[in-house]
Order: sequence, then C-alpha cells, then structure tokens
Amino acid sequence: MFTRGGKPDILVFAAVIALLAIGLIMVFSASSVMGISDYGDPYHYVQRQSILAVVGLVALFVLMRVDYHIFKSLALPGLVISFVLLVAVLFVGQGAGGATRWVRVGGFNLQPSELSKLAMINYAAVYISTKRERVRRFFSGLLPLLVILGIKFGLIMLEPDFGTGAALVFSTMVVIFAGGVHLGQLFALSAAALPVVYQLMIKEEYRLRRLLAFRDPWADPTGAGWSIIQSLLAIGSGGLFGLGLGRSRQKFSYLPEHHTDFIFAILCEELGFVGGALVILLFFVLAWRGLRIALQAKDLYGSLLAVGITSIIAFQALINIGVVTGSLPVTGIPLPFISHGGSSLLTSLAGVGVLLSISRQGKN
Amino acid sequence: MRIGRISKVLVQQRIMLLLLFVTTAAVLLVGRLVYLQIARNQFFQAKAIEQRIQRIPVEGRRGTIYDRNGIPLAVSVSATSVYAVPAQVENKEHTARVLSEILDLDYETVLARLNRRSASEWIKKKVSLEETQAVVQANLPGIGVVDSSERVYPYGSVAPQVLGFVGIDNQGLEGLELYYDDVLRGKPGQTVFERDAVGRRIEDGVEGYLPGAPGSDLVLTIDYYIQQVAQREVERATRETGSRLGLIVIADPKTGEILANAIYPTFDIETFADYPVQNRRNVAVTDTYEPGSTFKAVTAAIALEEGVATVNTGFFDPGYIRVSGWTIRCWNRGGHGPQSFFETLQNSCNPFYAKLGMELGSEKFYPNLIKWNFGSKMGVDFPGEVPGTVRSPDTGVPLVTWANIGFGQGLTMTPLQLLAAFGAIANNGIYSVPHYVKEIVSEDGSRGPEIPPPRRVVSEETTDILREALRSVITRGSAKRAEAPGYFVAGKTGTAQVVENGRYSHSKTVTSFAGFAPVHDPQMVALIVLWEPQGAFYGGIIAAPVFSRLTQQVMPFLGVDRKAMAEGGPWIRVPDVVGMTVEEGIRSLEEGNFEVEQIGDGTRIIGQAPEANARSERGAQVFIFTDTDYLPASTELPEPFGV
Repeated sequence: MFTRGGKPDILVFAAVIALLAIGLIMVFSASSVMGISDYGDPYHYVQRQSILAVVGLVALFVLMRVDYHIFKSLALPGLVISFVLLVAVLFVGQGAGGATRWVRVGGFNLQPSELSKLAMINYAAVYISTKRERVRRFFSGLLPLLVILGIKFGLIMLEPDFGTGAALVFSTMVVIFAGGVHLGQLFALSAAALPVVYQLMIKEEYRLRRLLAFRDPWADPTGAGWSIIQSLLAIGSGGLFGLGLGRSRQKFSYLPEHHTDFIFAILCEELGFVGGALVILLFFVLAWRGLRIALQAKDLYGSLLAVGITSIIAFQALINIGVVTGSLPVTGIPLPFISHGGSSLLTSLAGVGVLLSISRQGKN
Repeated sequence: MRIGRISKVLVQQRIMLLLLFVTTAAVLLVGRLVYLQIARNQFFQAKAIEQRIQRIPVEGRRGTIYDRNGIPLAVSVSATSVYAVPAQVENKEHTARVLSEILDLDYETVLARLNRRSASEWIKKKVSLEETQAVVQANLPGIGVVDSSERVYPYGSVAPQVLGFVGIDNQGLEGLELYYDDVLRGKPGQTVFERDAVGRRIEDGVEGYLPGAPGSDLVLTIDYYIQQVAQREVERATRETGSRLGLIVIADPKTGEILANAIYPTFDIETFADYPVQNRRNVAVTDTYEPGSTFKAVTAAIALEEGVATVNTGFFDPGYIRVSGWTIRCWNRGGHGPQSFFETLQNSCNPFYAKLGMELGSEKFYPNLIKWNFGSKMGVDFPGEVPGTVRSPDTGVPLVTWANIGFGQGLTMTPLQLLAAFGAIANNGIYSVPHYVKEIVSEDGSRGPEIPPPRRVVSEETTDILREALRSVITRGSAKRAEAPGYFVAGKTGTAQVVENGRYSHSKTVTSFAGFAPVHDPQMVALIVLWEPQGAFYGGIIAAPVFSRLTQQVMPFLGVDRKAMAEGGPWIRVPDVVGMTVEEGIRSLEEGNFEVEQIGDGTRIIGQAPEANARSERGAQVFIFTDTDYLPASTELPEPFGV
C-alpha cells in the first residue's frame, strides 16, 4: 500500500505550509476580539483550528506516502458513502442561518459536502481514465457522469449550500474538460444548463439581493451591501503595508464572518497589499505546481486526480478572493488553509496529501 | 495505445489551457488589490474612520448679553452634563439605580434611556458640582460627564420681554436670545472616540477632544439704569391706574437706540415657564393698537409738509364736523371755538384733524404714511414684529376713514412705530428705526446690527414748527402734568377707544403719552401706553405725569443738566444729600422747599436727581435713590450720582 517513490513536490508542500501558517496567525488575529466576547478566551478559535491543522497535516503525511491507486478501487464506495451522508445531513444535520450543513462527529462539525467533492472528482477521474476515448461519446460517455454530478449538486442545494455546490460542479467539470471530453457536447450542455443555473440563482430572494449587492453595495449599505462594503473598507484601508498585525479595526464587529469567509479582508487590512498579493502568489504556486504534477503524472488517472484536487483548491481561492474584493457576487466559500473551519481544512490538506503522492510517482 | 496517445496529448493541451486560466485569474485579482489598496486607499481609509468615530457634542459657550454700559445681563456659566453611551453600559439596572440616586431622577426614566438603541443619550443637563463629582467617583462604564453651560442673570430680570430666554439646550426661545441665536450660539466642540459596530468603545482606539468656539457677545442699546427707572415707573403707573397692561419705551431720537423697554405685568426670566404667555410678550413690537390723539402730531407734520396747513392756519370748532353724512364730534362737546394752529394741538381738537385728514386724503396722506413706515415692518431686530394696518387707497377707502386717521383712529401700529415717528420729529425729520442691539462683539472684532439706515421723512422747517407746537401742548395745553421742570418737555397725549367685536368700546380705552425732551435738543423720546385703565381715561391726567417722573429720573443718566427756569422765579441750588440717611436727606431737602420722591425703601441715600448744586426752583421735585431694591451692591453708580 505504501510506496517507495521519488520526492514529493517541495514547492506545493512549502506553499501549503506557508498558507497554513498565515492562516493560523490570521485566525488568531481576527478571532481574538470575538473569542473574548463569546468565550472569554482570545485563543478559543485558534486553538481548535490548530488541533485540526495538526490532524490535517498527519493525514497529509500519511496520504503522501500511500499509493494513490488504492483510491481507484474506493471510487464507487466513496461515491455511495458521500451520497448517504448527503441525504443523512438533510435529516439529522445541524446548521445556521436556515441551512443544515453539518453532522457532529466527536465534538467537531463535519460537512459531508466537503467530503463529497473529493469523492466526486475521484470517481470522475476513475470513470474517464477507465473509459478513455469512449468518454467522447455522449450517452455512454459524458451523460452518466453528468447525471451523477447533477444528483449530488441537487442534494447539496437542498441544504442549501450554493458555494460548495458550485465548487463541486466546477472542479468536476474541470476534470471532465481535462479528460478530453468532446468540447462541442460540453458547450451544448452548458448552454442548456444556463437557464437552470439562472433559476437557482434567483429562486431565493436573499440570493438575488446578494447577487445584485456586489454591483452597487452602496445602494443598500445597511442591508445586502453591508458585508461587501465592510470588506472593501477593510481591504482599502490596508494600503501598501497594512495597519499592522492585530491592528484591524474592521474586526470590531463591522465585518461579519471576519474569521471565516471574509478573513482575506482582515488579512489585507492588517498586512496590506504585500500580504494580500503574497497569498494570491502562494495559491498561484499551488495551482501551477498542481497542474505540473498532472502533466507529469504516471498515468491518466493520476493526471485527472491531480487536476481535480488542484481545481478544488484553486476554484475556492479564486471565488473567495473574488467575493471579498467585491469582484464577484457574495457566495459563502471559505478560503482554503486560511479561513477558520474544520471540514474545509481537513479535506484541503488530505487532498494535498494525495496530490503529493501523485507527484512522487510522476516522472521528473 | 493508439487512441491513448492521442488522448494524452489532448489532456496535456487542456491542462495547459487551465494553467493559462489560472494565471489570468491571479493577475486580475492582484490588479484588483492594486486598485483597492493603493489607488483608492485614502478613500476607503476615510470611509472606515468615519464610520468608527463617535462624536459627542460639547456646547460652545453662549455669548454674554451686556447692557450699553457693559453690565452683564445674561451670562452663560460653565455647568456639566451627564451622558450615557448605552452600548457601553454593562449593568443597566445597577447603573440606572446609582444615577437616579445621585442625580435625583426617576429610576424608570433613566433605565429607559439606558435601554435605547442610540449612540448616546443625555441623562441630565446642568448638573451641580457635587453631583458631577459623585457621578465621576461612581465610575460607571458607559457613563460620561461633559462640560456644558447654564444661562444665569446676575442682575435679575432686566427687560425680560426684550432679552427673552433659552431652553434646556441653550437654544434661544424668545426675544433677543431667539433673534440673535445664531450669533450668540457658539460652534459646538466634540469629544471623539472610536467605537465598534454596536457602539462599544474600542480599547486602544483614537480618543480626542475638538474644542468648539464661543458665541459672540451682544451689547444692547438698553441702559440698565434707565431700564430700572422705566420698570419701576411702568409698574407704578399700571397699578395706580388699574390698567390691564402698561408699556414704557424710551429711545435716543438721534440713533433709534432703545434705552428702556419696560412692560407690566412682567415675569421672572429664571422661572419663565411659571408665567402666562402674555406677560412674556414684548408688546412694543409684537402688538398693535390705535394710537388716538398722539397721532395728531404726525397728521400735523404731514399737513405742514404737504402745504395743506401752515403755522398761520386757524380753525373754528363748533364741536363737530360732518363728513359725507357722518358726524365726528370733538371730545369737547361744546366746541373749542376759534383756534390758532398751535391751539388745535393744545386742545387736541378732533374736527380740525379730521379736516386735515380729509384734505390730505388718499393722494397725499397715504404715501406719507407709507413713507413714515406705517403699515409695514420697520426691520426692528426682534422676532415677531408686526406691520400694523393702513388701508390702501386701492381698496376704495371712504373719506371718513381719512378723517378718522387724521386724529389717530382707523389705523393700527406697533408702539415702536409711533415712537419712531416722534423720534423723527425730535430729530429734525430724520427717521431712525428703533433697535435693541448696539454691537455684536466676536473674537474677530465688533459690528453693528443690521438695521435700515436713517432717512429723512419730513423737512427740518416742519419739525421746527412741530416741536414748538408740541412744547406748547405742555406749557398751555392738555399735558401740563408732563412737564419736568428744567428739562423742557414736548409731547402729546392720546386716548383711543378700544375696538371690541368690530365696534369702539365706550368703557375700554388705551391711554398714552408720546414726547421728547429737552425740546430744542432732544436727548430722549419716550412713549407711555396704558391699556384699559380704570377711572380717569385721559392721557393728560394719567399718562402725562408718568412722563414727567421719567424725564426727571432719566435725564441725569443722559448727562443733561437741568436748566434754570427762564420763565420761573429765582433759582436755588439743590443740596447734596448723597451719603446721608433717608431721614436726614428728606429733612435737608424739605428745608429747601423741594418736594422729595424716595425711590427704594433703604435707609441710606446713594444717589439723587438732580445732582447736588444743580440750579433748580422752589417746590421742584428731587428724587433720592436708596440703597436697596435698585442697584446691585457691586455695581458702580454712573456719574450723575457722583458716588
């Protein structure tokens, strides 16, 4: 089961460790005020995050040494388990703000939707690498995969969790795209799906207001525009070098979710353009090396799995930073490695472990 | 693996496309950061600071109101106010209990304020020093103390209807405090601190204090001493005649500066809310009345100016005059018979002035009334000035109306409008708008009030004649009692019926006297109006003596020497009684055959009018001022008293 292969990609590892370190520092900085007011302990949030980081790193090191081909046989069971969990969460799940997204496991909140992303791209990678050129057919190739994806997306949207659902669809589509699927079919289907996506966007009134808010947040500064305005104020007041670590003013209950989805804004406020650009650079390094691992993977399965894992992380980073900087509609997606939150951190680190395993078997 | 090879190339191509996409996205996001953090840094920083800064206003000191001598009449002294920032208050019930005990407030009221969802709340304004210290020592989170100010009146209620008063927030509510509120009000300062989104103070945040600017001071035209004389005399006259309301206004005819503006019944400025609203009105500006015979002086001036009458015009009065079917009767039913121009004024002969009114009519009377500022606001620096009414010829005024106006009925005016007209006669035809403020003094310097400039309304030739005519009213006519020996009073009495339900009342009158002195170089012009006196109606009997008493007391303050009676007997010098006890002084004066009038009920004499060694005549009145009820002990007396 374990392999004696080459060395893992050191740049990916370095970038992840750097992001993780920045993340822990920022979670502490952003959550200390809240930790005092909610629990009387400034370390409350960072302590939990540190424990999860250690657990995640252990998982990373283990998975890095495991031959990733064992996941090939786990594709179908993984898919089934994730389906079961997604259905279960609808009945026994817990959540906040009208959504049920978590099941409690051993004192931690677990998000089945996070796990299902990994299960889905793994299944897609197995499916395409097995079918090879037959995947270019429509009914026996592309369609079955899309049906599975559609059901999964539907279950996640029932929670509802639009951000994770979008991440799932996007990263699976990237795997399908990279797997050499017929582009004509892909475009035709995308065109057909557009009205459905549009309906989903405007179905919930709050979602529509959020969507419009990013275009002109000052139209409703105390309502839908509040988060994005507070985020822009935080980023904008950072300047070149920031206000200094721990000197954020927007964390004083102005910016909601400032230790989770909007942590990048606090980072930009405290560390300035230099800090913000460094984080974007680290994510770029991760994406670039991830795609390079895919190019140099031992086989097509490895290639597609690497593309999938990379796209999960890169897509979340892109959407999160896009939202926080007011470039995209507000969607609740955490920033991998940095935002406070266990499931996202664990799945991201586990994913990187698999990515490093693929790199060890690749040709150099 | 033929197809497999093709597939691998395809996969590699697509991965390269993904890399291109990722690179583009990263570049765009960094570009967005450049825009937000570098290009628009200052904009966002300013916005962020703006939303965090909480400002608690700190009043600027309200300007002082001085009399023309520099005596402070209304002063703002420093006091403190207690405020709460509700979001910072930790234990609301405890805080409310402690505050309600220290500040003597209702517990529920305080608690309600602490529970409001506002940035800051005033708990109590104008708090004593002891209470302030107790609040500070209680050291309650979210409760603060800030400097504010309180209006005090060191010399009591001086011309309260003119001064007006301020509300709880030191905002002018009435009178000059209202009219000059913008000037008196300082620029408020601020205490500033940084707060979080729910209003709690940020521990290591910015804190600071932005000082405000004090308001400008007002120097009034009111003379404290003359005002005291007027207040005392209006109270006495109103009470003695049983009048509903009394008014005395004294002005400088050369400038229009109002030296005194006294009204009775009056009110205490510190407890203004305890008095009826009508006591607080400055009726000199805000009310109108029909002037009656005092207005004949204006009719005479216009008639002379327009050539309708000359100084040689005579008139035979049969006791009435017929005007287009109406009969206007003279107050003297038997008629005054043949009269000279001066005698018509001395006798206050209605038919003659009705005749002048008709002859002037809409073509000559109306434009002159407008010129003399009747029927329109003068521009007095006081809130709520009313214009009075003069019917415009456009509305088809019947002849009888011009006849009525000729002797002062059928038009209304404010007392100040009539005073201004007498001022113009006294001042060689130059009309000055009466006003209350002499100077507005700010840190940058001082400026005068915004008052229309003086203007000529009638020729000097006319006023020369009129002054002699009005002097003869005192010496030979209906107002002998207005004379103040040695000061050469000129003036005219008036008694008008009150209009009730559209008809002239037979029992209610407005009695008045308007005049000036000394006749050849007038230093004061004054108007006395008594509304609805009981008993004797006629101005010559009840209002004229008030003018005499006023003149004798006021002239020394204006620096006018009492002249020896040119037409009187041998003059004698007034003895010096200042410093004596009241008994000694009265004895000394009575030995010299002076008639003594004691002002105040003290035991020692602190001033006298006329002053010691002034030339006077036997039997003349001498006022002595005693050491209580008149001047504050700390005040230096003005020169005429020579203390």
